[in-house]
Amino acid sequence: MERVASATPSPIAHSVRGLSDRAIAWVFVAPTIFLLLAINIFPLIWTIQLSFTNYKANRIGREVKNVGLRNYERILTDTDIWLNMQATAHFLFWTIALQVLIGFALAWLINKKFKGNDLWTTIIVLPMMLSPAVVGNFWKFLYQPQIGLFNYIISFFTGVEPSSFQMLGQVNLAPWSIVIVDTWMWTPFVMLICLAGLRSIPDYIYEAAEIDRASKWRQFWTITVPMVMPFLMLAVLFRGIENFKMFDLVVQLTGGGPGSTTELTSINLKREAFEKWRTGYASAYAIILFVTVFGLASIYVKALNKVKER
Amino acid sequence: MAEVQLKNVSKSFADTSAITDMTFGIDDGEFVVLLGPTGAGKTTTLRLIAGLENCDAGSIEIDGTVVNHYTPAQRNVAMVFQQYSLYPHLSVRDNLAFPLRSPILKTPEDEITRKVNEVAEILHIPNKLDNKATELSGGEMQRVSIGRALVRDPAIFLMDEPLSSLDAKLRADLRVELKRLQAEMKKTLLYVTHDQIEAMTMASQIGVLDEGRLVQFGTPRDIYQNPNSTYVAARLGQPRINLLPSGLFGENGPQGASQIGLRPENIEVGKGRDAHILRVEHLGDQTRLHLKFVEHDLVTLIDAHSDYQEGETIQISAVDPLFFDAAGSRIS
Ligand SMILES: Nc1ncnc2c1ncn2[C@@H]1O[C@H](COP(=O)(O)OP(=O)(O)OP(=O)(O)O)[C@@H](O)[C@H]1O
Ligand SMILES: [Mg+2]
Repeated sequence: MERVASATPSPIAHSVRGLSDRAIAWVFVAPTIFLLLAINIFPLIWTIQLSFTNYKANRIGREVKNVGLRNYERILTDTDIWLNMQATAHFLFWTIALQVLIGFALAWLINKKFKGNDLWTTIIVLPMMLSPAVVGNFWKFLYQPQIGLFNYIISFFTGVEPSSFQMLGQVNLAPWSIVIVDTWMWTPFVMLICLAGLRSIPDYIYEAAEIDRASKWRQFWTITVPMVMPFLMLAVLFRGIENFKMFDLVVQLTGGGPGSTTELTSINLKREAFEKWRTGYASAYAIILFVTVFGLASIYVKALNKVKER
Repeated sequence: MAEVQLKNVSKSFADTSAITDMTFGIDDGEFVVLLGPTGAGKTTTLRLIAGLENCDAGSIEIDGTVVNHYTPAQRNVAMVFQQYSLYPHLSVRDNLAFPLRSPILKTPEDEITRKVNEVAEILHIPNKLDNKATELSGGEMQRVSIGRALVRDPAIFLMDEPLSSLDAKLRADLRVELKRLQAEMKKTLLYVTHDQIEAMTMASQIGVLDEGRLVQFGTPRDIYQNPNSTYVAARLGQPRINLLPSGLFGENGPQGASQIGLRPENIEVGKGRDAHILRVEHLGDQTRLHLKFVEHDLVTLIDAHSDYQEGETIQISAVDPLFFDAAGSRIS
């Protein structure tokens, strides 16, 4: 007994004994709180503050003037920015719609008990595991008008000359080229979540429905869809937030062009902040985006909880 | 309603044989109870009739038609599942209405409301109709699950231990209620249980299962009085039948008898050979005596008002015992 007790270095034992439980709890939580303040809260507050000034981060010595709400006013009345917003909304809508439809359909097929469905799952999930930089780069090759496989395949099915259209270079096609790549890359994610939802429905519910003489069609709409819905909405939330700040793929593929047709708000914001160095203006822009996402997300989460409670 | 016939039905899962060569018939309007211990194949039998499993051999007929390859919907059976199987995202009302909303039936909505309310009344759950199916106690779920079958008018009702998680009083009430409904509306019902009281009180025919085989089929009275094996004899009767080597009472059994079965009514107290009272249990309406007789433990019933004491010695004798051979088969 004696020897075991003395094996604990006495100064530490002593000082620990001197602390109350509450104090010890604070000691453990403090690093997290500190990091949270340093990395999230402080920059946020600083950004809010900067958004009311004409500060430029590349001109350290310059006098900083308070401009009030001027930055906000300029952003919200800028027609170009509204166009960026529209491009973002278009991108969000179509990526989410396509990913949900295809992802759910794939999950539904994979969930059928057939041989080798594990292998198929692995294959389908692969795109998600690649780096966006890599994906962007090789889709650039696929979209190449002369040698690209994508153009070739389209021409094979439609008979259009492969070099007659440029997915990345044409104003009407460029937004779709990004939608296609994002869908290719992230549909597996939606599929996985839907699959989790489908697997959470026990077989006996379908058995009961069989006995109750519900057709397969009715089983799908009255059992499968409502029970997968919370999962599906969660997937939409994740994809929505991710795609609102879509950056890497677009930079790789079009860089925002041609013109500014694929300039999503995040690209636009990066330009303002780190190419034009209008830090105060960009801060206001960031705050506006933050409030938008936050607002949309909280409305959405409310809806999600409603569905879950049903 | 219809009659159902099983002919030489067998079913195995991988290497376990769940049902072996089962043959029995349920007449129109009959209440048949399958009785057997856990793992005997009761649920499997119901699932085979419902069409949730396909039989490996034999045939199942409903109303004279072989239905082996029919889907559950085509067979038109209603089933109460052992594990309730409610639709968790629907309210109790919608759960009960689900079978009625089948497009095959085209039930008008006011008819649905009427039936749902009626069934909820019978099962004592009218105040739970607007609960979600997951916001119910186990016993309430079980009753909703019964209700979902009762709203229908199927060829046959299949019920898998439908009263197992109810308290004693409610179980007794619903037992009577189910029996009344079945008799009034002349419904055909196949009911699975391991509760012998349910079997004795409700059944017009009882089938006793042992490891996937139907070992005896007959009226409750017949099965109780003329069990064809010690296994069947032990399934009915409370307290259980006492099995002893034959000859202890000096009775002369038929050729080959090696065991005798004594139910309490076969044991006469007051004369015969000595037995030692180990324990006296007063159950209110009856009193149980646990006896040591020669080397063997016996349990018998006596009049509730008799005042035998632990440690006393009494005399017992056997009256019309059942005789079984060494393998447990009935001889006379
Ligand atoms: N899906 C299945 N796969 C493999 N074996 C099964 C399956 N279903 C049932 N069995 C086996 O078949 C036998 C009979 O099972 P069953 O469910 O019919 O028993 P039961 O009489 O309903 O029992 P209980 O009273 O416990 O409900 C058991 O040995 C069981 O292990
Ligand atoms: Mg069972």
